[in-house]
Amino acid sequence: MSAATTTAGTAAGGRAPAAPSGIRFDNVSVAYGENVVLDSFDLTVEPGEVMALLGPSGSGKTTALRAVAGFVRPCAGRVLIGGRDVTGLPPHRRGIGMVVQQYALFPHLRVEDNVAFGLKARRGRTASRAETAARVAEALEMTGMAAYARRHPRELSGGQQQRVAIARALAIRPGVLLLDEPLSALDTRLRSGMLAELARLHRDLPDVSVLYVTHDQVEALTLADRIAVMDRARLRDCGTPQDLYRRPRTEFTASFVGNANLLPVTAGPDGTADFAGTRLTVTPAEGAAPGASATLCVRPHLVGLGDGPNTLHGRVTEVQWRGATHRVYADVAGHRVMADLRELRTTPEHGSDITLHFAAEDAVLLPAGAGSTDDE
Amino acid sequence: MLVHSKGARRAVWTLFLVLFLPVFALPLLVIVAASFASSWSGALPSGPTLAHYRDITQGDSLRALVTSLVTAVAASLLALAAGTWAALAAQRLRPRARKVLDALFMLPVAVPSVVVGLSLLVAFSQPPLLLNGTPQIVVIAHTVLVTAFAHQSVTAALARLDPAYEQSAAGLGARPAYVLWRVKLPLLLPSLTAAAGLCFALSMGELSATMMIYPPDWLPLPVRVFATTDRGALFAGAALAVVLMAATLLVLLAVSRIRTKASYR
Amino acid sequence: MSRPGTPAPPRPTRERYRGERRKVSSALWALPPLLALGLVFLYPLVLVVRQSFTQDEGGPLSTAPYAQVFAEASFTDAFGNTVLIALGATAGCLLLGFALALVIAFVPFPGSRAIGRFIDVFLAFPSFLITLALLFVYGTAGLANGLWADATGAAGGPFDFLRTPWGVLLAEITYFTPFVMRPLLAAFSQVETGQLEAAASLGARPARIVRKVIWPEALPSLAAGGALVLVLTLNEFGIVLFTGAKDVVTLPVLIYTKAILDGDYTGACVVAVVNIALSLALYALYRAVAARAGGARTPSTGGDGHRARA
Repeated sequence: MSAATTTAGTAAGGRAPAAPSGIRFDNVSVAYGENVVLDSFDLTVEPGEVMALLGPSGSGKTTALRAVAGFVRPCAGRVLIGGRDVTGLPPHRRGIGMVVQQYALFPHLRVEDNVAFGLKARRGRTASRAETAARVAEALEMTGMAAYARRHPRELSGGQQQRVAIARALAIRPGVLLLDEPLSALDTRLRSGMLAELARLHRDLPDVSVLYVTHDQVEALTLADRIAVMDRARLRDCGTPQDLYRRPRTEFTASFVGNANLLPVTAGPDGTADFAGTRLTVTPAEGAAPGASATLCVRPHLVGLGDGPNTLHGRVTEVQWRGATHRVYADVAGHRVMADLRELRTTPEHGSDITLHFAAEDAVLLPAGAGSTDDE
Repeated sequence: MLVHSKGARRAVWTLFLVLFLPVFALPLLVIVAASFASSWSGALPSGPTLAHYRDITQGDSLRALVTSLVTAVAASLLALAAGTWAALAAQRLRPRARKVLDALFMLPVAVPSVVVGLSLLVAFSQPPLLLNGTPQIVVIAHTVLVTAFAHQSVTAALARLDPAYEQSAAGLGARPAYVLWRVKLPLLLPSLTAAAGLCFALSMGELSATMMIYPPDWLPLPVRVFATTDRGALFAGAALAVVLMAATLLVLLAVSRIRTKASYR
Repeated sequence: MSRPGTPAPPRPTRERYRGERRKVSSALWALPPLLALGLVFLYPLVLVVRQSFTQDEGGPLSTAPYAQVFAEASFTDAFGNTVLIALGATAGCLLLGFALALVIAFVPFPGSRAIGRFIDVFLAFPSFLITLALLFVYGTAGLANGLWADATGAAGGPFDFLRTPWGVLLAEITYFTPFVMRPLLAAFSQVETGQLEAAASLGARPARIVRKVIWPEALPSLAAGGALVLVLTLNEFGIVLFTGAKDVVTLPVLIYTKAILDGDYTGACVVAVVNIALSLALYALYRAVAARAGGARTPSTGGDGHRARA
């Protein structure tokens, strides 16, 4: 990227609504004094793509989002929106739409004035009075809040406030929509409804790039085109939900996206691995040379009862009944193995012997220590 | 609840009322009672009269009331403007600079009011700024004394204000001036009116600095109360004091009504 | 305004907002109120200090005015009076304020909320009203002496302390106690009733609960309130002026007397500098104590405090 791109791009605050614009983090670092909260972050969100930033609290995901919004200044690197370098621009010149955790609806303005806020703030540069009214109506229609236009935010439920916050962000027709844990203030039942709603909204607005910060893997798996997994200020993994779930590249991803059995193994030749003296057939990984120690990732629900291609013999240490399934914990050569089994007729007894198996294509070999939580 | 037995609770309340009523409620009641009396030689005042209030409706006392009202309104508006500006500016400064600015604006609280009056007298009795003997010097003194309170309450309100409002507004494309005018100030309005009420009340009752600097033609009500009681007209002084309290209360009440309307939560 | 479709002109680099420029502009915004404060407050104070070192108009600076004022009996008397009355009034306010706040917060009765509001109103009134009221309660013609006269048939009553330091002390305690009660009530509202109930259920008597649970919570506010009252009583003028006693002179009254009645500006400025030094030292103490008291409370009120507003 040449320096010329820093001055190319659209005018102040103006955004070309039709022109799809992605986001690019170019080696972005953010630090508060000695404390590095985002470390050499590289990520590209394609135009129209939904990218989830997934990670535990303190992983730097919100910092990354705030760097796009302009609320934190990177100490190194560049942030680009639609190919334009916005690193030095104040938030109000970036042309973004943003929804924060607690919505921050202006309590002194009615719903319609909240939604119109962004348009009025730039009046003279973009929308006329009539156009403002039309766009407010459109945004409220889109979020199903048209009937509440004359209310004050305090008269709305949490879910309704959430919709207004989204309408307010969409009214300015941003090329980029930033969502900072938008569902965390809602209760579980409302959350799954809003999740479907967000997915529908994005189908209606296919050109809008969405950066979605969450610590909830279900939200990320449901909504995102791609997921960027973050931990301790760094990007650990990035890929489609299926990819990350089926073929995690790091132990952190494996354990943070879904449940996982992580077993220490020694890589062998030809897609084999040695686990506590047992030879297993696995899906090989790059960088796991024969003889090297590695980690084997197997999802608990892909572990079956009885003999199979890869058989493990162990002792039952605990059984939890979970309605549709039984979660069986077994001790296999001193390592804990979890199996989610379809509800069993007879519950295995504590201390009894148990035989478990899994298919080779369900066992992913990870290079040991790759992105694990204690590699630094 | 700390005391559970009924008898003990009664005893505590009785003790409380015995302490509270004479010390706090009695003084105000006594002034009101005295303002309607012409003498007080027994347990209760005697010689009921409205003469003191009749006197207030004309002449110097009425002028003193108007003087006080004008001074208090001017001083509290000036103080509110200066205090709010300083509080908003301080918020954008680095922590150390902000501390210095806050401390400077709180300083007038620590300096005796009499000294504030004296210092204005010393500074503005000589060129280039010759203000001694003008109403302005009284307004300036009151402004200096009450700005600290305006600054303090606006600073506290700003600290409580969720930064998410400001950031959301900026994210929606609003320039800082637009954010200030359309988001921050409206959200601060309840605190601003509260601060204005406080400033007004303090200015209405200001005596110390005023005694040092008031010109003969700009004599506020507290000075008039003092002058009246000093020459022995205690009952007329009480009536003036009642008027002072009533005017202060009325304005505070009006301000709190605006405030309820202005608070959106 | 650029028409849609027209390529926007390249953004000039000077429009880019840089941290340095922002800091400079922030400092510029702080300048106007600072200048105003400097003109009407700081500059006059400096002149007061300069005048206090000026024996004759236009003459050289000297410490002679200080030596002169310090030698006067009226100054030493006023200094002693000021400090003693301030300390006494502060102690009284702390005792009375703690007791009253304790009852309002923990032995609530119908109307105790109204009393809280009454205190707020009380703070809005000027201090000299209290002296005026005390004249009607304990003055030669007034309630207490009138009661005595009615009861005993004597010509006058025994109460005649208003023109002594005790009268000033009583008035100051009355007026300034609410300044102690307000922060105390705020602190008490942070004490959880659950804590008190737990203590009571474990068999603790009220005295023990006050000592073990309430007292630690009250201490920071008590210290901050006490320091504030100390500063305010040191600087109190109206109460003493209204007492009208010739022999109760405090530093602020001495400043007034010297400047307005005697026309001795230099002497007034010397006393003023002493008074400022005294109260600034105490005010610094107050800020330090208040900051610690505030800091101790922040963890419980900060953080999710914003949530309540959303």
